[in-house]
Amino acid sequence: MLETLQNLALGFGVALQPPILLYAFAGCVIGTLVGVLPGVGPLAGISLLLPATFGLDATRAIVLLAGIYYGAMYGGSTTSILMRIPGEAASVMTCIDGYAMARKGRAGAALAIAAVGSFVAGTVSVVALMLLAPPLATFALRLGPPENFALLLLGLLVLAYMSGGSMLKSLAMAALGLMLGMVGIDPMSGYFRFAYGVVELGDGIGVVPLAVGLFGLAEVLASAGQPTPPKVQKPKLRELLPSRQEWRDSMAPIGRGTVLGFLIGIVPGSAHIISSFVSYAVERRLSRHPEEFGHGAVAGVAGPESANNSATSGAFVPMLALGVPSGPIPAVMLAALMVHGVSPGPLLIQQQPALFWGFIASMYVGNVMLLMLNLPMVGLFVNVLRIPYGLLYPAILVFCVVGVYAVNGSVVDVWIAVTMGVLGWLLRKLDFETAPIVLGAILAPLLEMSLRQSLAMSDGHYAIFVARPIAAVLLAVGAALLLLGLRAWIARGLDWRERLALAEKGDAP
Amino acid sequence: MSRFRIALALAVGLLGMAGLALAQDAYPSRPITMVVPFPPGGVADLTARPVAAAMERTLKQPVGVVNKTGAAGAVGMQFAATSKPDGYTLLLALSSISIIPEADKLFGRPPAYTVDQLTPIALISADPTVLVVRTESPWKSAKDFIEDARQRPGQISYSSSGIYGTLHMAMELLSHAAGIKLRHVPHAGAGPALTALLGGHVDALASGPAVVLPHIKSGKLRALAGWGESRVAALPDVPTFKELGYPDAEFYIWAGVFAPRGTPEPVLARLRDGLRTAVADPEFKGAMDKIETPIAFKQGEDFARFFAADARRLAEGVRKVGRVEDKK
Amino acid sequence: MTIDRAGGGGLALLALWVLWECRRLPLGSWHEPGAGAFPAALALVALGLGLAIVAVGGRATRLVDVDWRETPRALVIVAAGAFLTFGLERLGYRPSVLVALLFLVGAVERRGLVPTVAFAVGMAWGSFYLFNTLLKVPLPVGPLGF
Repeated sequence: MLETLQNLALGFGVALQPPILLYAFAGCVIGTLVGVLPGVGPLAGISLLLPATFGLDATRAIVLLAGIYYGAMYGGSTTSILMRIPGEAASVMTCIDGYAMARKGRAGAALAIAAVGSFVAGTVSVVALMLLAPPLATFALRLGPPENFALLLLGLLVLAYMSGGSMLKSLAMAALGLMLGMVGIDPMSGYFRFAYGVVELGDGIGVVPLAVGLFGLAEVLASAGQPTPPKVQKPKLRELLPSRQEWRDSMAPIGRGTVLGFLIGIVPGSAHIISSFVSYAVERRLSRHPEEFGHGAVAGVAGPESANNSATSGAFVPMLALGVPSGPIPAVMLAALMVHGVSPGPLLIQQQPALFWGFIASMYVGNVMLLMLNLPMVGLFVNVLRIPYGLLYPAILVFCVVGVYAVNGSVVDVWIAVTMGVLGWLLRKLDFETAPIVLGAILAPLLEMSLRQSLAMSDGHYAIFVARPIAAVLLAVGAALLLLGLRAWIARGLDWRERLALAEKGDAP
Repeated sequence: MSRFRIALALAVGLLGMAGLALAQDAYPSRPITMVVPFPPGGVADLTARPVAAAMERTLKQPVGVVNKTGAAGAVGMQFAATSKPDGYTLLLALSSISIIPEADKLFGRPPAYTVDQLTPIALISADPTVLVVRTESPWKSAKDFIEDARQRPGQISYSSSGIYGTLHMAMELLSHAAGIKLRHVPHAGAGPALTALLGGHVDALASGPAVVLPHIKSGKLRALAGWGESRVAALPDVPTFKELGYPDAEFYIWAGVFAPRGTPEPVLARLRDGLRTAVADPEFKGAMDKIETPIAFKQGEDFARFFAADARRLAEGVRKVGRVEDKK
Repeated sequence: MTIDRAGGGGLALLALWVLWECRRLPLGSWHEPGAGAFPAALALVALGLGLAIVAVGGRATRLVDVDWRETPRALVIVAAGAFLTFGLERLGYRPSVLVALLFLVGAVERRGLVPTVAFAVGMAWGSFYLFNTLLKVPLPVGPLGF
C-alpha cells in the first residue's frame, strides 16, 4: 500500500508537469468534441489523431490519446440528452431517459448528473485500475470463449428488462437486431453472409450507423414534420442543476454503474458498449418506480453514463498489466506505445514506472478537468435547444451524415444510417422499441463466435460449458435469473386468476 | 515574314518539348495517397507511416496515409485496385493480398479484386512467423510438438487471426509439410488470438515476431521454430522449419507497396527510385527498429519473383485448406 | 389492421426471407454449426415472435388511427438525406451539403433567401473545416474542385 502511494506520488510528479497537463487538457477537449459529434466516437477519434502523436514522446502521446478516449465518453451524453442522437454507440441508452428529462425541462439536470456520474465512475475505476491491475488482468485472461458465451447469454437476458412496453414486442425487436448482426463475413468459415457483393458489408452492419440512424435520424424524421415543433421546455438558469431529490436518486445507480462497468470492461473482447445497456436494465429491475423508465428516470441516465466511463478504465487493465489488447481502442493505444519504442507487455509496469504511474495520475487529472469542462458548459449546451428547430434539424442531418462517414470513410455506412433512420421512424409509429435492436446487433456476432469457438476448442462437445468452472457458474446464474423471472411472471398470472375468482364470488348474490 | 514564322515555329516547338519534358518529371506534382487496408495501429499501418514519411522526403510531395478498412483488407485493396493508374494512389498491402481472391474463388463468388489488377513496386519488410507455445507446455522443441501432433491428430489446438488469414495459412502450410492435423480455433484478429494463447484456451499460435517478443522475454511464451528462410534476428536460438527438414513451411508476413496496373512506366521507375532512397533513410530505419520490424527491401524483378512465388504457395495452400464443411 | 399486426407481420416476412436466403449456406451439425445455422435459428425465433405478435395484436391501435401527419415532410427529409449520401463522393462534400441545406432550409422550411444561403454556406464550409482540417477526416472533394 505504501509502495502504491509512493508510486502514485511519482505519477503525479509526472502528470502535473505543465507540458503533460497541457496534453491531457488537449486530449480532453478534443475528446469532448469528438464525443459530442454524432457518430464519431472514441475509436474514430483516437485513430484519426494517432499519426499526430508520432512526433511526441511516449508519455505525452498516451496521455493525449487516453484523454480523447474518456473525453469522448463524457461528451457522448451531451447530444444524447439534448437531441436524442447518440454521440457514440455507447450513449444509446442515455438517449432514452436523458432526452425524456430534457423534454420535461430537466436537460441541465440530466447533463449535470451525467457529468458527475462519469466523474465518480472514472475516478473510482482508476483507483481500482491502479490497485488491482495485475491480479485482475490475470483473472481476465482466464475468460475464454466458453466464459464469453455464458456472459453474453446473461447479456441477452438483460434484453427482457430493457423496455417498459410489451415484452413480446421488445423481444421481437431484439430478434430483429440479432438477425441484423448476422450480416458479414462469417469468421469461422469464411462465408459472406447477406452481403450481396458489397465488400464494405464484410464486417457487418456497423453499430455506429445503426445507432445514429435508429435514434438520431429517426428522431429528426419524427419531429421535423410535426405541425408544431417539439416542445422542449427551455429551462431557466435556476433549474439547470439537479434538485436534491434527483441527486439522491442518482447516488446508488452511479455506484452500481461504476462497479458493473468496470467488471464488463475487464473482459477481453470488444463488448464494452454493452456496459450501458446492462446498467440500464439492472437499474430498471432494481428501481422502485420502474414505470418511470423511458419517461425521464434519473437512474436511467446516472447508471449507464457511469458504466460507460468505468468500462473505459476497465479496458485498460489487460492492456497495461499484460500488454494484451482487450478491444480495438486499447489495441490502437498499444500501437502508439510500440511506435514510441515502449514495448508493452507484462513487464511494462516494472520497466516504465514513470509512464505507467504518470498515465494513471493523468487519468485522475483528466477526470477532474473534464468535470470542470463539462459542468459549466451545461448552460452553454442547453442553449443549443434555443435554436429554432427548422434550422437545427438540417444541421443535425448534416452532422449525422458526416459523423457516420468519418468513422470509416465509407458511403455504405451512411446509406445504412439513412435506411435505419427510416426504419427507426416507422418502428416509432408502430410503437416498437428500438434500443433492443442495437443490443441484439452487437451481441449476435459475439454470441455466435464464442459458441462456435468453444465447440471448436472441445471438438464439438457441449460438455465444455459445464466442465469449466467459471462458465458453469455463469450459466447457472443465468438459469437462476431466468427461472426467477419466469416464476414472477407465472405468479402474476395465477394472482390475476385468483383475484378474478374472488371477484366473481363476491359478485354472486 | 517567313523568318518570323520560322522563329515562331521554333519557339513553339521548343516550348512544346520543354512542356513535355516538364510533364515527364512533373510526377509527382500533387499529394500522393497511400491506402492502408487495415485499421490504425496494426502491422500494416505501423509500417506504412514511416514509409510514407520517408517517401515524402524523397519525392518532395506530401504522402498521406488513408486507412480504408473492412473485410480483412478486401475493401482497401479493392479501392486501390480500381483507382486511376496515375501514380497518385498507392497501396501498402500485406501478404494476405494473394489470399483474399483465392478465398473468394473457393466460395464461388466474384473476387473483390484480382492480383493482376495491381503492379508490385517494392517489398518493405518480411517477417517470418514463429510458432509459440506457453512456457508451461510440455513441448520444448518443434520436434516434440510435431511428434505429439502426429500421435494425437486433431487434439492440439491453435488460434489464428481469422480463417484464411495470415496466421491460419502459416499453420496450414506447416500442417501439410509435416503431415500433421491440428485443431483450428479462429479468433477476431491477432490480438484476441494472442490473448487466447496466453489465457490457456488454445495450445499454440503462429505469430509475427514483434508482437510476441515481450512475452517471450518475460518468460510467458516459448518460441519453437520459425517459418523463415533464416532465423529471426531477435531470436537467434530458434531454428527454422527449413532447418528442421520442412522446407515447404515458409511463410512471411510481408508488407509491400503496390500501384494499380496501368500506371505508366516512368512513374513506376520514379516510385522505385524514391522507395529505394526512402528505405536507406536513417530516420526510417530508426522507426522500423522501434516497431521491431527488420527491413527487407526488394524491388523490381526481385520483388516480382518473390511475390509470384509467395502467391503461388498461398494459392496452393488455400485450395488445400478448402472449405470448412468440405472436410468431413 | 393494427400497428402490432403490421409490425409483427413485417418481421415475420423478413424472417421468411432470411430463411430463404440461408438455403445456400451450410447448416453444419450440432457439434459444428455451419455458416447458416445461427441465421436460420434466429430467423425461426423471429418468425415465431412475429406471428405471435400478429396473433395477439388485434386489440392494439389501428393503423389508420396513428398520427401520420408528418409523413410528407419526413419523406422529403429522407430524400434530402439520400441526395446528400449519393452526392457525397460523386459531387463532393461541400456541394452536396450546400444543395441539401439550400433545399431543406429554403424550399421546405421557407426561411428567407439571405439566412438560407448564409446558413447553408456556413454549415458546408464550417463542417468541412471542422472535420477535414481539424479532425483530419478526409472528406471527398468533388469534380467541381471544392
